[in-house]
Amino acid sequence: MKKMRLDAAFAVKLIGGVFFAYLFFGFMLIPCLNTLTSIFTVKNAAGQTDPMAVINFFMAGTMKHYVFNSLKLAVSLVITVNIVGTSLVLLTEYFDIKGAKLLRAGYMTTLIYGGVSLVTGYLFLYHSDGILTSFLLHYFPNMNASWFSGFNAVLFTMTFACTSNHMLFLRNAIRGIDYNTVEAARNLGAGQFTVFFKVVLPTLLPTLFSLTVMTFITGLCAMSAPSVIGYDAINPEIVRLAGSSTADESFPQARAALLSIILAMFTIVLLTILNHYERKGHYLSVSKTKTKLVKQKITNPVVNVIAHIYAYVLFAIYSLPVILIGLFSFQNYGAIKMKKLDMSAWTTINYYGRYDFEYTTPRGTVKQSVDAISGLFSNDKTLSGMKISFILSTFAAALGCVIVVVACAYIFKHRKSGIALEYSLLFPWLLPTILICYSYRVFFNSDSVWYTFGQNLYRGKNVMLLMIIAYTVVKLPFALRMIKASFYTIDNELEDAAKNLGSGPVRTFLKVKLPIIMPSVLAVFALNFNELFKEYDMSATFHSSFATTYAMVIKSMTETDARAYYNLNAAGRQCASTVMIMIVSGIILYLVYGVGSRDITERLEAKKRRRALLEKLGLVKKAQPEGSPADD
Amino acid sequence: MIRLNDIGVTFGDFKALEHINVHVKEGEFYTFLGPSGCGKTTTLRTITGFIKPSEGKVFMKDRDITDVPIEKRNIGIVFQSYALFPTMTVYDNIAFGLKIQKLSKAEIKKRVARIAQKVELSDEQLAKAVAQLSGGQQQRVAIARALVTNPSVICLDEPLSNLDAKLRVQLRNELKAMQKEFGITTIYVTHDQEEALTLSDTISVFNKGVIEQTGSPNEIYNHSRTEFVCNFIGDINRLSDGIVSRMNASGAGLSPENHHYIRLERIHVNDASKGGVTLSGTVESMEYYGLYIKYTISCEGQSLKVIEKNDGERPYEKGETVSLSFSPDDLMIYGPDGREAQR
Repeated sequence: MKKMRLDAAFAVKLIGGVFFAYLFFGFMLIPCLNTLTSIFTVKNAAGQTDPMAVINFFMAGTMKHYVFNSLKLAVSLVITVNIVGTSLVLLTEYFDIKGAKLLRAGYMTTLIYGGVSLVTGYLFLYHSDGILTSFLLHYFPNMNASWFSGFNAVLFTMTFACTSNHMLFLRNAIRGIDYNTVEAARNLGAGQFTVFFKVVLPTLLPTLFSLTVMTFITGLCAMSAPSVIGYDAINPEIVRLAGSSTADESFPQARAALLSIILAMFTIVLLTILNHYERKGHYLSVSKTKTKLVKQKITNPVVNVIAHIYAYVLFAIYSLPVILIGLFSFQNYGAIKMKKLDMSAWTTINYYGRYDFEYTTPRGTVKQSVDAISGLFSNDKTLSGMKISFILSTFAAALGCVIVVVACAYIFKHRKSGIALEYSLLFPWLLPTILICYSYRVFFNSDSVWYTFGQNLYRGKNVMLLMIIAYTVVKLPFALRMIKASFYTIDNELEDAAKNLGSGPVRTFLKVKLPIIMPSVLAVFALNFNELFKEYDMSATFHSSFATTYAMVIKSMTETDARAYYNLNAAGRQCASTVMIMIVSGIILYLVYGVGSRDITERLEAKKRRRALLEKLGLVKKAQPEGSPADD
Repeated sequence: MIRLNDIGVTFGDFKALEHINVHVKEGEFYTFLGPSGCGKTTTLRTITGFIKPSEGKVFMKDRDITDVPIEKRNIGIVFQSYALFPTMTVYDNIAFGLKIQKLSKAEIKKRVARIAQKVELSDEQLAKAVAQLSGGQQQRVAIARALVTNPSVICLDEPLSNLDAKLRVQLRNELKAMQKEFGITTIYVTHDQEEALTLSDTISVFNKGVIEQTGSPNEIYNHSRTEFVCNFIGDINRLSDGIVSRMNASGAGLSPENHHYIRLERIHVNDASKGGVTLSGTVESMEYYGLYIKYTISCEGQSLKVIEKNDGERPYEKGETVSLSFSPDDLMIYGPDGREAQR
């Protein structure tokens, strides 16, 4: 019996080992190595293999320009995002600003609204014919109508789009400050700003440093904003080259590979610095009894007024696109075209329904454009994009969580051999998303990959599976970091207790450990789902008509809108689609953070409240004296 | 009931336990006492099955259980942290083991209700989450969970260590009463000598992976067999060479090679009738505890600690000259090897 149990355990370990090796070598290492080698195997005009051809091309040509532009964007973003992000957190968590709750809600909109939908939202407002630009031009006719374009527009958009991490992580760091340290400094004669710079800020520096590195990488790998607004950055160029043909230009694929590898090298250097810094150790609170931070009133009235104005201007920048897009999603195409709210033009057509559009040609004949106006739930393309994104994101987010939970269970049981597994799951962090997707697109677009049983994963509907794998792989490092942290909260004695009461390892895991880590797992699922649901970069890299995601459809709406009498309300449907993304992301976040993360105490309280309400409504009988044991 | 025969446990090169021999009788309250890292929890985990001994055998009711898996040993455990499942209600925590035994719902309900009544947990508390209970109530849940499966033995691993002093004393008494009521064989691990002395029928004192002494609380306290035990249990004075010389001058016949100890309460202040040796000293300091007063008295160049019952008389003041008397029979004497020496 014992031998059988041992054999079963060995078999499980073996299957697990094979699976993780397959995942690591097959879908992380080999495709990316293939990309790397493709740089050195290009053939020159004479048909000979020339390992230096692409590098020489790079050194001589305009490719450097893309790298420089991306670096410029990354460096600028580090400055702007840190300034805006840190001020958002200070305004809502550290300083006493009136209406902080409302401000926080506005600043957090980027959690449900981002990617290509955010960029198109900003274009809707700030473009040369955008609502805000038109409004400003009315009062300042001499201003530059095209102020929102190129580098400035990308920087502006990304600055406000990339503060989510500050709102999540820096907020936690500031909330962890022991207020006694602030009081102690004040007691020793330090002024308000000395306390901030000498006591508070140093405790935030480690988090700020991590955020800086993450922002730098985001800037370097930017895709949505540069491609929608129009800016020569690396990623859009990689995607362009990946889809190009040798008939048009010199070895485009190898050049795409080289740009991807350059991105990877930057990422590796940055992550090494981050890792080194993190190992040096973070600030640790030595407080025996922590006191909750009390918000600081800004004593200087002038500074106080300036801070309030600054806070509400930021609030407007964050919330105006959301509000206006919400409103315009209920306006007809005429009002949207004019970028002016028309109180007589309310409609639900951008969401549901379809009708034809009749128009008169210059020769006077009336023509009909069939289904020129349709809502997102009635437009097959939009609906299909939404469905595809929903399916891909759900599968990938869930698969990522399952893989990481299983891996963490192993890592915590086998500390030594677990290290290899941990590093293999963190590996995608070293590679820019675009490199992984590009590598997949090239490597799996073949019938000769033996470990996919000769199946071309890029061909036809197979690409959906390839995208699920890519989505999953890209999200593994984040999932691992978050879920692994939650495993640390499991008291070892719980496992011993369950074992002592006769529970086997599977039951102990499912009934004791999993419920403890479940809030973190759900949070990771939600954050990953929300990001993937609206992601554009990866699907644009795959660029397959068999997997046109929601974000790609949204982006294409900007283009189709320009075509006369066809897809007339594309801009309206774009607004409705953005609202849809916000609703879906909001629901997911609510279900996970609001409901899923409740601990048993909160769940029991909620149950009690529900019961009381039902009793009040007379829908159930009054409860027996309290305490009937929980149902099994 | 439980017998450990020459148990040894090794972790790599480190010998955690050596030649551990324990015999726990049916219904007995048996305590493993010792400082941190002495091996007491390792011994307990060997009994419960979490650690497989490198040497020796574990017997339960004369049956060799050394290789029996944890869940088949029928031993209940109360962990130091209580290890209550935080995502379950109190009821579900207690019922966990019964569900694994696949008992019917009605039977589970009945048994949980019965044990809850015994450990004084109300129906209302059963429906709560464990985090909603106080430390004392959580301890009762842990005990109920360990007892509901009717184990032959219950093991408690420092269950009071996370509680404040007042609650610790209160629960200590409740624990003892509960053990008497259930009549269950109990093995208790603690580093708190007061807890061990008040609760136990038998105590084994551990040090560096070996048992220094096993005996009743009285034997351990008054007849400590090793210098370590005498130092670890209670407060004690080691007499300086000066005092030993003075005693020898009055014919005590003590070997200067040995180490001589005397407990605080065996020295009497200004009461020559209580002892055969009387020395003169000066009060250095006084600590007032209410029930008793603890003095530090300088005598023959040594600071001796003395406890006097608070009988309402005026306490001695700092600088006051007093006489110290004690009987040579109350001395605890150990050889240079730390073992009890012949008088």
